[in-house]
Amino acid sequence: MDLSAIIEPVSSWIDQEPLIFALIIGLIGAAIISGVINVGAMAVVWMDRKVMGDVQRRFGPARVGSRWGLLQLGADAIKLFTKEDSIPIGADKQVYVWAPIVASITTMLVAAALPFGALNIGGKEYPLVVANMDISAFYVEAALSVMTVAIFMAGFSSNNKYSLLGAFRGMARMIAYEVPMGVCVIAVAVMAHSLNLVEIVNSQSLWYAFAQPLGFLIFTVALMTDLGRVPFDQSEAEEEIIAGYTTEYGGIRWGLLYFQEYINMLLGSILLVLLFLGGWNGPNIPLLPPISPMIWFALKLIIVLEFLIWTRASLVRFRIDQVTDLGWKWMLPLSIVNLAWAAAVGLYFA
Amino acid sequence: MPNASDILSAIQSAFPGAVTESRVESDRRLWLTVDAKKLVDITKFLRDKHGFDHYSGAAGVDRINDNLFEVTEILTSHGAHQVVVLMKVKTPRDNPSVPSLNGLYWNANWYEREAWEMFGINFEGHPGLYSLLLPDELVGAWPWRKDWKGYPDTTTGKRAVEKLATSGHTEYRFEPTIEELKAGTVHQRQKFPTFREREEMELGSDAEMIMHMGPQHAVVPGPFLLDLLLDGERVKKAFLDVGYIHKGIEKIMENRTYPQGLVYTDRMCYMASISNNEAYCGAVEKLLGVTPPERAQYIRVILAELSRIQSHLLGTGEFLTLLGSATYSPFMYMIIDREDVVSLMEAVTGARITHSFVRFGGVRNDLPDGFADQTRKVLKMVREKTTEYIDLLASDPIYQQRMEGVGVLTPGDARRLGVSGPPLRESDTPYDMRREDPILVYPDLDFNVITRTKGDSLARVEARMEEILESCHIVEQCLDQIPEGPIQEKLPKKVKPEPGEAYYRVEDPRGEMGFFVVSDGSDKPYRVKVRGPVYAYFQALPPLLEGVYVADVVAIAGSMDSCTSEVDR
Repeated sequence: MDLSAIIEPVSSWIDQEPLIFALIIGLIGAAIISGVINVGAMAVVWMDRKVMGDVQRRFGPARVGSRWGLLQLGADAIKLFTKEDSIPIGADKQVYVWAPIVASITTMLVAAALPFGALNIGGKEYPLVVANMDISAFYVEAALSVMTVAIFMAGFSSNNKYSLLGAFRGMARMIAYEVPMGVCVIAVAVMAHSLNLVEIVNSQSLWYAFAQPLGFLIFTVALMTDLGRVPFDQSEAEEEIIAGYTTEYGGIRWGLLYFQEYINMLLGSILLVLLFLGGWNGPNIPLLPPISPMIWFALKLIIVLEFLIWTRASLVRFRIDQVTDLGWKWMLPLSIVNLAWAAAVGLYFA
Repeated sequence: MPNASDILSAIQSAFPGAVTESRVESDRRLWLTVDAKKLVDITKFLRDKHGFDHYSGAAGVDRINDNLFEVTEILTSHGAHQVVVLMKVKTPRDNPSVPSLNGLYWNANWYEREAWEMFGINFEGHPGLYSLLLPDELVGAWPWRKDWKGYPDTTTGKRAVEKLATSGHTEYRFEPTIEELKAGTVHQRQKFPTFREREEMELGSDAEMIMHMGPQHAVVPGPFLLDLLLDGERVKKAFLDVGYIHKGIEKIMENRTYPQGLVYTDRMCYMASISNNEAYCGAVEKLLGVTPPERAQYIRVILAELSRIQSHLLGTGEFLTLLGSATYSPFMYMIIDREDVVSLMEAVTGARITHSFVRFGGVRNDLPDGFADQTRKVLKMVREKTTEYIDLLASDPIYQQRMEGVGVLTPGDARRLGVSGPPLRESDTPYDMRREDPILVYPDLDFNVITRTKGDSLARVEARMEEILESCHIVEQCLDQIPEGPIQEKLPKKVKPEPGEAYYRVEDPRGEMGFFVVSDGSDKPYRVKVRGPVYAYFQALPPLLEGVYVADVVAIAGSMDSCTSEVDR
């Protein structure tokens, strides 16, 4: 078949209507992204349950979808969708309804600029990223923190004291940790001479986790805080404030908020892998050269996720004042020290 | 160390004529009947001159045939000596009123409130006689009086009328009869501010809010209401309301025969059912004047200590989930360990939590074959695991940061607030019933009373874990020493003690558990009063919570290892 007969009219059409083409590509990209991250997050939820079960000497989900409980989340989703949708009488209805949607939008915004790995075709690496923008590292970090706005919307609109306390805690925590996190991203950018995530990955002949160990440590802790994982889950500490900002949410609205946390966890882990663990860099695997970057990427991602889950099962929670203390008095000064280190070393690095 | 007769002669020489009746039951028990006018003076004398710094409770008894109410104040000491003084005050039934001891003992508050709401005995000088266990609309019904009709009226079968009050609550009351209306003797109930109204009076500004913890909340070990007056994350004041699951067990036991009453003691707190059994049976044995055979005594001690192990394991595990989240793993491991201990108890008693195992003058079953070997195996495992948990918690910096210096009970405060058990011992007060008021074969056994000096939440949990090790040690000694022999003293089929009173206390996993049983010579107890340890914990909780963060509330309340069911017995 003559391919040029199809390609030529298409490419001439692209030349005539570049905006429409960009829109179509964008839509396809969005569809792919939402598919990928949602399936990915479902895998994370499953992994979370299974690993947690292992750590606690129980089985985890083992009924729905074979003895591995693969379809448990599907069953949960069906349950949540079919539940009664109730909105508290005193709630600020508009904000209440929009909070889970804002949360979803946030995760999509993050996902748009995040490379999900790369394919190695003919010795050349093609990163899998929808919007390969120049400042993607900074953009992703900024977009991640919009999640806090959603948390605050949910907590504030619920007209519930637990929710309010949870929202305040989330806010205080976010402010205390976004700053050191941002400084760490800058330190990485200084070393990589770029804010583009793809270029940051490509510049990591030596992983930045080794080049700036302090930055890696601070970024990991700040990321855990940003994701609200134990020991930094004060905003939904169920033993103190029931479920924090999600207290008044039920049914699929709660499901959305809950699921966004896992999506965030996935995206945050990807960011950590990209910035500090060399992304998809790794020696070529024989026989599988095209997907060998993907294998390395997935391997690193699973290790990071496993770490996050493991800490959840084995640590107790900080008090909110201890968290903000740690953020302002230790993380921020140390992250600036790390920036100085990165600037000094970076001069010899590139 | 003074004994009961010394104390008696001291009182008699200091207050001639004030003691109308006295009975020295043993070196450790002194029963007095004193003049109500002299009660406060005598108590002050005892507290200041003879080291009676522990107010252990008060029991009201309705002597309807003599047209009297009796209030028995139970006083004892934190280590100065081992005498328990049970001081009785009589007051006419028509206008019952006795002086309050709240000025002398901070923790007299709740005991007097309970006697007031149940019997209608007024305590002169009490700062706030509000209902504690009863709902507000039942105040004035005085339900534990012997002539109370009950809902429904047990004498006529007439039911109380349900009414929806304007406040939205359902009120129960008997409609006045025509005779009462004609005679103008319709009982008018006094109005008291409700719990909600009392706490809202404390609200200072718009920046403060009252946050409910409970009646349904992850931190509560059963339904009770803990209201926090918050200024941001700080607790300015805490309010505690109990009585959500008040079962009236003490009243029910008055209507059951002695053996029937035993099963109710299990249900007071299922984590400590053996020690509750023990306390009740011990009190009745005192009334009957029997002593269980030695083998039975050993079996009781073994089970009581096994029960302590399983209670501490579950209590600590649950507490850890409060501090971390429900996903904090050591909880699961402790549950698994506890399972083996519970199985051991099941092998002896046939039940896992509500044993009803102890009998008057003995126990129900003998130990099964191979029990000793199996127990040694399990205890070895428990000991290894517990040591591991102690290491785990000691090496967890976040845990240390959360717990260290949180909820500090200074020795003075701990004694003043009247707590017992681990929270008291960890405040540098080695007060353990097994030493202070030894029962069964405890005097023959070698064990340490675990104490700490810091008195914070960290010390409480840590010492609770060490008590597990100590209990393992006790059980192993018992297994080595236990003699062969009968397990049950011969008793008549119908248990009918002579008229009299007995007070018997044991060391519950949570502290001092005492049973005060009054017999009138029939086959049913005339009055049973339970002095539980958690009741005292709860009373001490609000002052402990003032000024801490919300997250610390969990660390403090959880480290107490409470059990609401026993408070609302």
